[in-house]
This record gives sequence, structure tokens and C-alpha cells, in this order.
Amino acid sequence: MSAQLADKSTAGSRTHDELVLLRDCVFAYRQDAQGYGDADNAVHDQAAPLALNHDNLTVHSGEIVMLCGQSGCGKTTATRLLNGLIPGFYHGALSGSRTVCGLDGDTADISEYVPLVGSVFQNPKTQYFNADVTAELAFACENMGWQSARIRDRVAEVAHRFGIEPLLGRRVFTLSGGQQQRLAVAAATMLSPQLMVMDEPTSNLDAVAMRELHDMVAQLKAAGVTIVIAEHRLAWCADLVDRYVLFADGAIVAEYTASEFRALSDERLRELGLRALDLEPYRQRVAELAATAHDDTAESDRHSDIPKRSKINAQSQIPLIETHHLTVGYGRKHGQFGSWFSKRMQRGQRSAFSRTIPDLRLFPGQIVGLMGRNGAGKSTLVRTLCGLQKPLAGRILLHTEPARPSALTRAGFLVMQDVNYQLFSDSVREEVLLGLDSADEATREQADEVLRDLDLLQFADRHPMSLSGGQKQRLAIASALMSGKELIILDEPTSGLDRRHMMQVGALLRTLADSGKAVLVVTHDDELAALWCDSIVTLDDACSLRALDSDGDGQRWIV
Amino acid sequence: MTVSPPAASHYLRLDPRAKLYLLLLANLVMFFHVSTRAEAVLVALVIVPLLTAGRVRMGVRLAVTYAVLLAIGLWAGAAVMDGVGTAGGEQTWVHVVGALCVGLRMMLPCFITGAYAFSTTSVSEFVCALRRMRVPESVVIPCMVVIRFFPTIIGDYRRIRDAMALRGLATGRWSLLRHPAQSLEFVLVPLLMNATMVSRDLSVAALTKGLGTRGVHTSMTEIRMRWFDWVAMVVCTIPLALGIGGVL
Repeated sequence: MSAQLADKSTAGSRTHDELVLLRDCVFAYRQDAQGYGDADNAVHDQAAPLALNHDNLTVHSGEIVMLCGQSGCGKTTATRLLNGLIPGFYHGALSGSRTVCGLDGDTADISEYVPLVGSVFQNPKTQYFNADVTAELAFACENMGWQSARIRDRVAEVAHRFGIEPLLGRRVFTLSGGQQQRLAVAAATMLSPQLMVMDEPTSNLDAVAMRELHDMVAQLKAAGVTIVIAEHRLAWCADLVDRYVLFADGAIVAEYTASEFRALSDERLRELGLRALDLEPYRQRVAELAATAHDDTAESDRHSDIPKRSKINAQSQIPLIETHHLTVGYGRKHGQFGSWFSKRMQRGQRSAFSRTIPDLRLFPGQIVGLMGRNGAGKSTLVRTLCGLQKPLAGRILLHTEPARPSALTRAGFLVMQDVNYQLFSDSVREEVLLGLDSADEATREQADEVLRDLDLLQFADRHPMSLSGGQKQRLAIASALMSGKELIILDEPTSGLDRRHMMQVGALLRTLADSGKAVLVVTHDDELAALWCDSIVTLDDACSLRALDSDGDGQRWIV
Repeated sequence: MTVSPPAASHYLRLDPRAKLYLLLLANLVMFFHVSTRAEAVLVALVIVPLLTAGRVRMGVRLAVTYAVLLAIGLWAGAAVMDGVGTAGGEQTWVHVVGALCVGLRMMLPCFITGAYAFSTTSVSEFVCALRRMRVPESVVIPCMVVIRFFPTIIGDYRRIRDAMALRGLATGRWSLLRHPAQSLEFVLVPLLMNATMVSRDLSVAALTKGLGTRGVHTSMTEIRMRWFDWVAMVVCTIPLALGIGGVL
């Protein structure tokens, strides 16, 4: 244990108290650096001409600073100054003086930041570089040229410190998002950095995984590590943050101490476009909605007194989809080429998963939230409801008739969390006409109408990949509406969104429901669920869960 | 607690460099078109490390496959010899099967050594082996990236097929074969779009972990050539040498 830890604890008491000093920093991304040029200013996330606008930021040693603000406000850009990715990787016009951990931003090479600054990013799936957990932990040390024995000691020490020993040696690909994100934090601390920079680390995590991340951050804080977090979700680490820095349009508009920030009313936070600091009221509301869902006789009565609920609810007595004693799952993993590369793949160790689902009824005009932990079977259930896989047992009724998977596939549509997978054409209009008779005048008119309803008509001739995330989401929904789908399922539509965009998604769900669609939304977002869902189904009851994942030498985890 | 090096397992596994050498040998056997006897001896030899590495079932399967192919090939050869002059439809059939079996059989040594090398070597051992052989980082890093991308691409492909099914694109059982160009486009466009984003994220993550630093990069995994690595390499070279020399 040792040298590295001792090193870290003294770092806090050293004289250079100001670990980060940004003075009058101005930055504008070169247009090609952000992928696809300039999209519409009002809706595109990153299109602000100045990503940073004369910003001054000081971070003291041992502090936890939260950078907050709406999407595109410059908080992510600010984190990139701290870990050297600007100007080392993202290029553009940069001015102002920057000092990070004693490095001068103008002269330091990006590799000089490596031992001093640890970075954690938004997407757990794309920030590990190695196929297995141990190698990923060792990676930074290997790049620094450490000797093998020293790396092994350090890996064991860090794994022990964060309680991730059970993950060692497993394939990163098979871990849940929460486990991957814990691994990312652990891997970022391998070189004992003085500063940790986290860019929206929780946007793909469920409540339990966020709690685990919170504990890791608490531990790092106790060890004197300085942490800068850029986030939309504020509640998960509200007890740890020392200072809040509010960004708007690239400029720092306010700084609050923790107590000042906590004193802000919920209304004020909402005005600032920020997510709630205290999720408790939302959680309570979610629990109420979940309770009503189980008690399905009283369903429509209970909703009558709640504002903003759809009127169609009460009218449509015939459910679109109904399940009876449904068990979803799969017997074994499908062909996994990846395992060829893993010595741990042993014959006869198959991964099986099965989950009994409480009977569901999805009505047209209703928004149902599907919540529960990562790995609780939500995506398997969704795939089954869309007919993409067969149920292991039980029946699914479509319009009160037992339905084959192919019929379900025709009736249902899934908007994936990563919507890029479902856009196939080279213009927005072609995308909604794909598979339809595009020569038919009526069809074309209908397409224009659907696009207009979803505010996409002005982009009709643009390439789908040039749209912002929210626009892509709406385009996928437009394609579903064109092909006459009745059930729209959305998988985590609000991950990584600020409050304003979350509310936009909620309003869109309501529009879909009001037009007579049944809407099922898979989400970890308590705010979305509480504000927009008519009822909530939770897949958490451990008693009905028979999930086993076996991977490697007998390591099993039950979610 | 320390992380035990993978070599501490109770199975006997060769050094990755010895495995790569066996793979090279198998390729040379095919390249030089050595006699069937030499080839069979080599196959018998390279099955042994597969068994000692604990891949018994895989080893037995491959050995049986080889034996069956060898038998059919020999039988077909003999049958053709017997039937010289007696032209007939049956003989053409025997010819085709025989040629097919011989072709497959000749590829099997490469397949066996390849399966052995890949299924018993972890990525870190492989990377370590490359670094110890003083392969430049400009080759090592792309290798790591390729290995990293395999599971990603498989996952992506499945999601894209789901998305296509939901849109009613190329749904039938044989549709991928009936409209290959169109299907390829539907799969490739999202796959590549996604790969560009993943690769950007990966570059960023790798840069912040120092992949780009100059200076020596080490490996946590330690690999070591031991006596049995050398023995395996020498013993397996013998049939090739004898085969090329015309003795076997």
C-alpha cells in the first residue's frame, strides 16, 4: 500500500493549493472536430460558436467541484481543458492561460497530464480499451513503463480499495454498465492522480450503480483527491460536492458553495435548467405510480385526480398488449466470437437468464414506465414484447388475441438508447419513406405531415447523422409512425439530457400517447417517470428473479 | 493479495511465442505441400499442447475430424485408382468428395494451431509477446484495437438486425442472401457510423491513459520461454524438415 497512497495524502498538504487555474479561457471547436458540422443552433447540443467564453475557474486542492448547466453550456469543454484533451485531441481556437497540477496548458503535451489527471467519461461502453478487467486496470501503468510486479501490486491494491476484486479477470464486455463505470473510475486512479475529471459519469447508470459511484467518489475525496464533475444529474453526489459552478452559453455565470446551492428552491433550479438536487419527492411519486400499476382494478380511478394525465385512459378499455404469466429470457448465449479471445471461456458454462414478468397491460393512450436495475430483464422483456425473441413461457395478447412474434414485430417499435443503429438512409425524408412506396403522392404527404408534427420538416433533406441526438430520436419515432406501429417503446430516452430536453421528451411521449399509441418507456430517470408516466412497472422483486450469469471460473452474480 | 500471473494455472500452456511458431509451422506445411504422412505426424504433435492446456474436447473433436477427412481422402484416392478406365458418374462423385476432403484436411493444421493459439492466449499475453519480440507500438496498438472491436461489432450487428426487423427491412430468412448489396448497405451504414464514434471515444480514453506516451511500454503479464516451449518447437519442426527433405 504504500508509496502511491502516501504520495497522494501528502499531495493535499503541499503548497500549491490552487490545483487548477483557468484565466480568461476562450475556445471554439473547429467545426469538423465535433463530427458533423453545424446543426441548427436552437436544437443542436454543441453548436454554440464559442464553447468557452472568457472563463475563469479556480479549483483548490482536495475540493469537489460540480460543473453544471444545460446541454452545450460548455461544462464538458471545460473538463477537456483540465485533462489536456483540448488542445491535445480536440482542436480549435484557444486563448487564455491554463495551469493544471502545475502544468502550463500552452506548453504541456497531452501525455504529461497522464500521471496527474485521471479521466472518466460518459459512456461506459466506449472507455475501456482492453478486453479484460485486469488488463484495463494495468493499462495506464503499462503505458508508464512500470515493472510487472509493481503493476500487479497496484492492481490488487486498487481492486481491493474499491471492492472490485470479483471483477478481476472477467471480460469487460460482459459487465453491466454500472460495473463498467466503476472499473473506469478504478482504472483512472491507477496512477494516483491529484485531479480526477468526470464528464457525465452517471448518464447511463441506474440508482444502485449511482450509489456505488457515489461511494467511490466519497472514498477519493477522503483520500484528498481533487475532483471535477460535469453533470446533469445533481442528486447522486449532492452530499459530497463543495462548490457548484454554473455554465450558460460557454460562460461561467455563477458559483455557489454547497450550502448556497442547497438553499436554492426547486423552482430556481428549474429556471436554471438544472435537474433536481433532491429526488425524494420524485421517488415517492414513482413508488405511488408503481403501487397503482400492481393494483390494476383501481387503475383508471386513481388517475383521475392527477393533472396532466391523458383522458384517453379511461375511454380505451381494451388493452393493446396484455401478458399472461410471461417468462422471458434466453437459454444460453448466442455465438460469441469474443470468447475466442478469452481463456476463460470454458465449455459447458452457459449463461442462462429467465425472468417471470408480472402480468402487464398496455393501453393505447397510456405512458407506462418500466423501471428496475440494470440486468433485471428490462431489455429482454422489451425485445420479447417487440417479437424480437420468443418468450420462454406464457402468452402475449395483441388486441386480446394471442400473437406470434412476427405480429408483435409489425405492431411494435423500439427506439433504442443508441438511436444511430436504426437510421439507414441518407436523408430524413427517405428515412421515413424507407420500405414504403415513395412514388405514391398520399404517402409522401403523410410523411411530410409526420415530419411536421415532430418538428423535422425543415431538415427533410439533411443527412440523419447530421441531426442532434433528440432529432435523431424523433426521426426514429417518425419512421415508426409512418409504418403504422401501435406500440412505441423507448429505451432510456433521457439519458444524458438536461431538464429542458428531458421535458421535451416527456411532452413527445404525451403527444404519442394522445394520438392513440401505447407508450412504454424504459428508464432510470426518476424525474421523467414521476412527471410523465401514467403508471410504472418495476422489475426488481428479487423473489421472482432467477437470473444467473456465469462467466469465467464460477463467478456468479445475481442481479 | 496479489493478482496471480496466469501461468500459475495447473494446465500446461506454451509461451505465446511458441504458439505463434507452431502456427507458422502449420502454414509452412501447407505452403510446401509436404507429404500426408509428415502432415499427419505434425497434427498428432500439435494436438498434444491443446490437450495439456485443458482443451480436451476441442482437441478430440479436431483430431477426429482430421482422422475422418484423412480416411475419406485415402479411400477416395484408392477408389479412383481402382476404377481407372471404368468411366462413370459415380467416379466423378468420388473425385469431388475426395478432392474436397483433401482440401479441407490440408487446411486443418493451420486451423488447429490457430484455434490453440487464440483459445488459450489472453490478449495481454499476446500483447506482451508482441512487445517482447520488439514489434513496434505502431503494430501492437492496431492489434489491440482490432481485438477490442470484435465484441463491439458483434453487439452492434445484433442491434442493427433488431432495428432492421422492426422496420421490416430484409426480414425473411434468406433475405440477406437474396438482396446482398442492399442488406450490406443497411448493416454497414449504421455499423460504420457507430464505429467512428466509438473509435473517437476510445482514442480519447486511451490518450488519457497514456497510450500515446513515448518511452518504453511494459506489460503486467510476464511470459517466459521454458524448456518445454523449446522442446515443442523443435519436435514439431522435425516432421516439416523431414517432409521437405523427402524422408517422410
